Amino acid sequence: MTNIKRSWAEPYKMKMVELLKMTSPAQRKKALLAAGFNTFLLKSEDVYIDLLTDSGTSAMSDRQWAGMMLGDEAYAGSRNFYHLEEVVREVYGYKYMIPTHQGRGAENILSKILIKKGDIIPGNMYFTTTRLHQELAGGKFEDIIIDEAHDPENEFAFKGNIDLNKLEKLVKKHGAKKIPYVSMATSVNMAGGQPISMKNLKELRAYTKKNGILVIHDMTRVAENAYFIQQREKGYAAKSIKQIVKEICSYTDGATMSAKKDALVNIGGFLAVNNYDIFEEARNMVVVYEGLHTYGGLAGRDMEAMAIGIGESVSDEHIRARVGQVIYLGEKMMDYGVPIVKPIGGHGIFVDAKKFLPHIPQDQFPAQTLAAEIYQDAGVRTMERGVVSAGRKANGDNYFPKLELVRFTIPRRVYTQAHMDVIAESAGRVYEKRNSIKGMKMIYEPKYLRFFQARFEKLK
Amino acid sequence: MKTIIEPFRIKSVEPIYFNTKEERINIINKASFNPFLIHSNDVIIDLLTDSGTSAMSSNQWAGIMQGDESYAGSPSFFRFEKVVQDITGMPLVIPTHQGRAAEKILFSILGGKGKYFVSNTLFDTTRANIEYSGAEGIDLLCEEGKHPSIPAPFKGNMDIAALQKVIVEKSAANIPLCIITITNNSGGGQPVSMANIKAVRKVCKENNIPLFIDACRFAENSYFIKLREKEYADKTVPEIARELFSYADGCTMSAKKDAFANIGGFLAMHDEALALQCRNLLVITEGFPTYGGLAGRDLEAIAIGLKEVMEEHYLQYRIRSIEYLTNKLIAAGVPVMQPAGGHAVYLDAKAFLSHIPIQQYPGQALVGALYIEGGIRGVEIGSLMFGKYDEQHQLIPAVLELVRLAIPRRVYTQSHIDYVAEVIIEVFNNREKIQGLTIIEEAPMLRHFTAKLQPINLK
Repeated sequence: MTNIKRSWAEPYKMKMVELLKMTSPAQRKKALLAAGFNTFLLKSEDVYIDLLTDSGTSAMSDRQWAGMMLGDEAYAGSRNFYHLEEVVREVYGYKYMIPTHQGRGAENILSKILIKKGDIIPGNMYFTTTRLHQELAGGKFEDIIIDEAHDPENEFAFKGNIDLNKLEKLVKKHGAKKIPYVSMATSVNMAGGQPISMKNLKELRAYTKKNGILVIHDMTRVAENAYFIQQREKGYAAKSIKQIVKEICSYTDGATMSAKKDALVNIGGFLAVNNYDIFEEARNMVVVYEGLHTYGGLAGRDMEAMAIGIGESVSDEHIRARVGQVIYLGEKMMDYGVPIVKPIGGHGIFVDAKKFLPHIPQDQFPAQTLAAEIYQDAGVRTMERGVVSAGRKANGDNYFPKLELVRFTIPRRVYTQAHMDVIAESAGRVYEKRNSIKGMKMIYEPKYLRFFQARFEKLK
Repeated sequence: MKTIIEPFRIKSVEPIYFNTKEERINIINKASFNPFLIHSNDVIIDLLTDSGTSAMSSNQWAGIMQGDESYAGSPSFFRFEKVVQDITGMPLVIPTHQGRAAEKILFSILGGKGKYFVSNTLFDTTRANIEYSGAEGIDLLCEEGKHPSIPAPFKGNMDIAALQKVIVEKSAANIPLCIITITNNSGGGQPVSMANIKAVRKVCKENNIPLFIDACRFAENSYFIKLREKEYADKTVPEIARELFSYADGCTMSAKKDAFANIGGFLAMHDEALALQCRNLLVITEGFPTYGGLAGRDLEAIAIGLKEVMEEHYLQYRIRSIEYLTNKLIAAGVPVMQPAGGHAVYLDAKAFLSHIPIQQYPGQALVGALYIEGGIRGVEIGSLMFGKYDEQHQLIPAVLELVRLAIPRRVYTQSHIDYVAEVIIEVFNNREKIQGLTIIEEAPMLRHFTAKLQPINLK
């Protein structure tokens, strides 16, 4: 026996590289001003390491690129569609699949079909686009995630779990008829990429079945969730990621997928259901918004890349290296004293901005401020996930979420260990000078999804 | 005239799968006589659409490899934005995953109950998006555009007198937008003249109605203007395009046509306030404003394609190849839309299958026959696509019963086209054996995509 830790070394090597530009502190200062201190509005050319999102930013494999050349761009009945359909059935087990240009396209359609005005949609923490589509369809989102999820320090292994008591309260209050489905996300993004356990999922399934409520799976990071089940849940250590993923899906009635995350593509998504009537309605609707149901607004080559990427995403070696890299970065940041959400999630490090900048009140946007500071230090682009992202309630008041986070999302297969070192060191440097950092005020606020385009100014 | 050759050669090929007539009869029955339900592997020559089916150039593929996939602020976006600004003269450019998404956004903002959108002819998805918003679409095609067999240079023109009349009847306040589709796809890929665009512009301006261009085949239309409108003979295609866009307040574009892209589209405009509203909706259904639901690589491919499409040697070849097929069919007596349009050959199904009543969808029946005979996939543009029911559930037919054989850009060779002509002529010679169809299943909107049909036995 040895105590030497097994490295998470990548099960791949580099085949093609993309050159990066280094910037000076003065250039970054200028870029930040031009972007209104919103990292979304920075030009990617001015960014050295881009951790804005893990969505659509993966490096595809040589096989996926080969698949790109096999794109069949026929408007109807493309070969790539049938391949994708077969892979979705085989890997996830859903009966019917409709491709969409990305995840939010699927959310839009499914929300419109399943939600009636006045309905309640319980879910394990909101996600920006998901909740918006539920609201636009006339529904109201209710958070039923366990309380532990709102506490960044709590090290519970499955902080993505659903609190069934909260669900039952909603059912009692509104009646099951007002609840068309539970919106269940694997690897809960806003909670820091926290997993849901299989046990919790089974209980949810049993409860919803009894009450005639569907479970719709936001499955964009299902493989990463499966990895945590394999590592942490009793009875799953010997199972493969592929088996676990399929079991997760088996407890749900349908799913929306942004394939830009787990499935290692730059564009694409789908919706999948087991019910034929819902499928048929979705097929009629997808033509209006996305494209004919055999391409859904995607090029044939993108469906091929997705089909291949899904296969790669459920390999044990891939996921071990993927999450291994994230944990490597998180541990290094903790070594520098940087307060992060624990346990470390699957797709990024979530820095606790409230704790990092305790002197900045939430209405002065501590997470937004921190994201700007991190960029200024070394050109690392991160994203605010706090009060700006949470937006406003129907009555115009700000949501003040308990979690005020800066998300360091790691693109899949893109950055090296040395890049991780640069990121951790930069976060450490900013932490050292934290007391001199001042808050911000918002000077432009868009109507929907304000975090994308809002502009800020530094407080004097 | 010397043969006009392609200003390119082939760099990468894709195999065609052959099947037998017996197999095709099974396939079309399985697909309920709807070409949209046939697997592309079962098609020999795919003329279903010219949308998204182009062969990209090696330069575009190089652009694909250069795509920057950053979620926000990708340089691929800024390159794309600049090209669109240069071509259209419109400063505000919003990418979308395809043309219908651009329309969806525009009509969600401008549409609604009691509103009327006027056009030379709205295409199927455009019309669907308008109606989905609760508004109504009104086609005001010039008279010559309604007669397939009579040649005229600009059969896509809008009827100016009719436009004025509609404005008086419906009141300008209820008309949020006038849309000119170039070229006019549903009306045979026929161009609109610069003079007509100017005249429409004048009427719109007098009545304070914004003018948008549905620009997906702007280069083909610009080239027709160069060929057929005297004062433009010496101008370059980019100059003509720029002038054409200068008369509009904005445009929607499906980059899957005249930008040789397999996916993508955009909105461009002058009005800041409208652009802001569009971007607010964009983030909901499409994506962040600097990618709009497209991969960075697709923005690169569009930017490069938009420049390539305005090459005159290309346009000369493109227009000539459509004319080549059209002339072959005319010589054999096949009734086609005349003159040849810019992107497709349109068979006049009403004349082709005069024994099949409109209620039995002669266009769709002809689509089936072409597939069975030669594995050619076309699409009906007639009463299946545009027909409606009255209160007694009787079909209100479309103006024209056409079958469109859209020619993908830079994909098929002259021998493919010769084969297509032979198949059509063969079908024409045996046309009296073709049976009409009846619908057995249909969706409430855009029914032609998923409808199921079966033959009516002639007894």
